Amino acid sequence: MAWGPDVISDASHENIEHAFHHAIRGNFLVDANDDCRIESDAGDPDPRDIEQKVLVITISSFVFRLLVIFGILEDSPTRDYYLPQASVQTLEDIFAETANMCSGALSRELSLNFPHLAMSTPSPLNSRCIGLLHELKPQRLASYRITIKESVTLRATLCLCCSAPFEVAAVPESLDLTHEHGELEMF
Amino acid sequence: MSEVCNDKEGLVQKIAALEQSIVGLKALAVAFERWHEDMINLTAQTRDMNSNGDDLASIARHLVMVSVNAAIEAARAGDVAKGFVVVAAEVKSQAQHVQTLSNDMRKTLHKSELLTTTTFQDIQAGGKMMMAAISGLERMVKDLRDGMGA
Repeated sequence: MAWGPDVISDASHENIEHAFHHAIRGNFLVDANDDCRIESDAGDPDPRDIEQKVLVITISSFVFRLLVIFGILEDSPTRDYYLPQASVQTLEDIFAETANMCSGALSRELSLNFPHLAMSTPSPLNSRCIGLLHELKPQRLASYRITIKESVTLRATLCLCCSAPFEVAAVPESLDLTHEHGELEMF
Repeated sequence: MSEVCNDKEGLVQKIAALEQSIVGLKALAVAFERWHEDMINLTAQTRDMNSNGDDLASIARHLVMVSVNAAIEAARAGDVAKGFVVVAAEVKSQAQHVQTLSNDMRKTLHKSELLTTTTFQDIQAGGKMMMAAISGLERMVKDLRDGMGA
């Protein structure tokens, strides 16, 4: 699905995508120097997709809501990468915390354009729901496959629903917001 | 001099009216919390229904398998099981019907989970946006009062 020309420009699309990729690299890597590849996921569903643990977080403004969806497989490479030995945390906890921080970083970048932006807490979602996102009638739906150190594969989806046209300016490179952490807030 | 006094008095009244509006907005925030609680319950209920839907789908799959086996066994038995062939075919047809319904229901339940979860999150974020806007208004009122020395 393409960006609706009357709702958001290609440049704004690229700016959101750039901010999202920046947030992923700033939060999902255990070591900032780890190899990370983010590719557009045009289709070819993986049979393991339904086994994914999926989390959704909503970033809302007065004119749009952006669903940020992350999927992770609880396989050995993923456990080995994210769970240090003798860790008391579960992979699920680390995943929720990391997804929250990543969305927080994206939200902060977008808030430079939209001061009244707010973010939800993460919620689990059945992996089969991802195939039904078109039911929300989004103006934009984009999926990504994230490969870390050639062994860990994550999935991410951006689903943008707008009620009015808007633009997103690029975040100046001099502003590094990735090290401020999103916090799990209680409503 | 009296004009200045009138202006100041008018401003004080406007600030007081603004403060009343803020009180009203804060009451709306309580309603947001109520919706939030309702949505939490609704989301939990949808997940329970999804779980039941998964169980039902598993039973439907099993039923189709059993009915296919029954049809095969009835065919093998030959003439003595002619009546059973008809029964097995009917059971198979009904089992397939149940499976189709079960698949449709699961899709509806997944759609329902998506809609309730995302609506819940939008309400949650909307509540935060509103609280931030109210805080902004409160700061503005405080600045106005401070500026007037009131």
